[in-house]
Amino acid sequence: MRASSMRYLMGNGFRNLWHNRLMTIASVGTLVACLLIVGVAVLFSLNVDNMVRYVGEQNELVVFMNVGTSDEQLAQMESQLNRLDGLGEITYVSSDEAIDQIVDQYLDGDAGLLEGMDDNFMPASFRCQIVNPESAADLVSQIEGFDNVDNVQAPTEITDTLVQLRHMINIFGGAIIIALVIVSLVIITNTIRASVFTRRREINIMKYVGATNTFIRIPFVVEGIVLGLLSAGIAFLMVWGGYNVFLDLIRAESTSLMASVINQVMPFSELAAPVLGCFLISGITVGCIGSVFSMRGYLKV
Amino acid sequence: MIDLIDVSFQYGNGTEALHNVNLRVNQGEFAFVVGSSGAGKSSLLKLLLRETVATSGQVIVNGFNLNKLKNRQIPKFRRSLGVVFQDFRLIPDMTVYENVAFAMRVTDQSNKAIRQNVPEVLEMMNLASKAKQHPYELSGGEQQRVSLARALINHPPLIIADEPTGNIDPEFSYEIVEMLEQINKQAGTTILMVTHEHEMVKFFGGRTINIEEGRVVFDDYIIGGSNESE
Repeated sequence: MRASSMRYLMGNGFRNLWHNRLMTIASVGTLVACLLIVGVAVLFSLNVDNMVRYVGEQNELVVFMNVGTSDEQLAQMESQLNRLDGLGEITYVSSDEAIDQIVDQYLDGDAGLLEGMDDNFMPASFRCQIVNPESAADLVSQIEGFDNVDNVQAPTEITDTLVQLRHMINIFGGAIIIALVIVSLVIITNTIRASVFTRRREINIMKYVGATNTFIRIPFVVEGIVLGLLSAGIAFLMVWGGYNVFLDLIRAESTSLMASVINQVMPFSELAAPVLGCFLISGITVGCIGSVFSMRGYLKV
Repeated sequence: MIDLIDVSFQYGNGTEALHNVNLRVNQGEFAFVVGSSGAGKSSLLKLLLRETVATSGQVIVNGFNLNKLKNRQIPKFRRSLGVVFQDFRLIPDMTVYENVAFAMRVTDQSNKAIRQNVPEVLEMMNLASKAKQHPYELSGGEQQRVSLARALINHPPLIIADEPTGNIDPEFSYEIVEMLEQINKQAGTTILMVTHEHEMVKFFGGRTINIEEGRVVFDDYIIGGSNESE
């Protein structure tokens, strides 16, 4: 296709939008509303993801060994742990170090109180960071099966709650997004159908003079894509503004207890790319599919 | 050019519109197709324009076997003919120039070719002075000339005219047919004109194909020259 033809057809697409400007405004408005809801869902789920990761980083497994485990067995244990997938940094805490910690934390450094006790009364342990909080429960049961392990402690409850929350958000968010995609498709299809209708005379003539279906479709596809892009742009700016207002609000309200949670809320700059990408892709896709739908029936003759 | 061999055509509801039609129109001929309404003229046109496909028999136009033509080849076929309709089918918000240029625009031709060919054809149709006007500012005869210019713009070897004088005052009707004859003589363009105006056919004369009840009942040359007022 010639560049001049392409320019002509794209120009026609824009002309259609201007010609049916009331429909254009109505459909951009509806699409923006749909994208805003999608945007809120995406922002929410990204933030929950982030919190789950944060909690996960705070998460560690503590593997307590049996009292009296030999150095050799401890070394073997360490290499076994190193081979496990899903564990981050592993720190060995020897029995002496554990006693020192107790003396420091609970006995005000007065080791005298422990006199007369067995040197090894505290078990040696490994503190292991968990990379993926979802796998915590699995890891615990695996490690419990190793030799010389007395028990494994992991605060999995908070993680579990967050992981469940994330699953729920993903399911509900997914359902909402599918519903909104259908709504948007209907809206775009309707708008373009209206402009196909006003241009039916031209389409008819195009068929008779031997224009290809691609040629006939392009202006309407351009129209759909422009509707999608326009809505994506407007929705993005609104989400940007809205998110920052929301952040300011919760920062002003925050008590010291909430501070650490709020610090985990992501700044918009980190979210801009995924949100914009998501908006643009959904806008363009819905626009394209909508315009192809609305042409059905008009291409025969 | 146009070759119909044993062509029958039935609508979906079983009504037979054409029955065993054999018809041949050679390159450079000018032929009228007449017949009362419902006789099968429109069905014939639909077959020739590949809007529908014959139920049985072969339809060959400009070397394209329309029975076997694939959907994506239809545009290529349609570019090999020009069509003129009774209702002109001009685009109201485009000027005369744009209406004619449109046929070139949408078949992917260069701006240069458009700037060169459109004024030429408008000149030929005596429309040069109307180039910037819109269809509603023109008389019926002028509008039909614009539509003829659009049909001619891609220099097709065949022009199919469906009741081209149906919406035009009688005095301009003859002008349109004269123009078609002129195009036929000068460029050797084959012309098939469907009409129900027997008077006009008698006036111009030439090959006349009469279709009644789905069959060709008459196909011969008649001598023109009868007076318009008869």
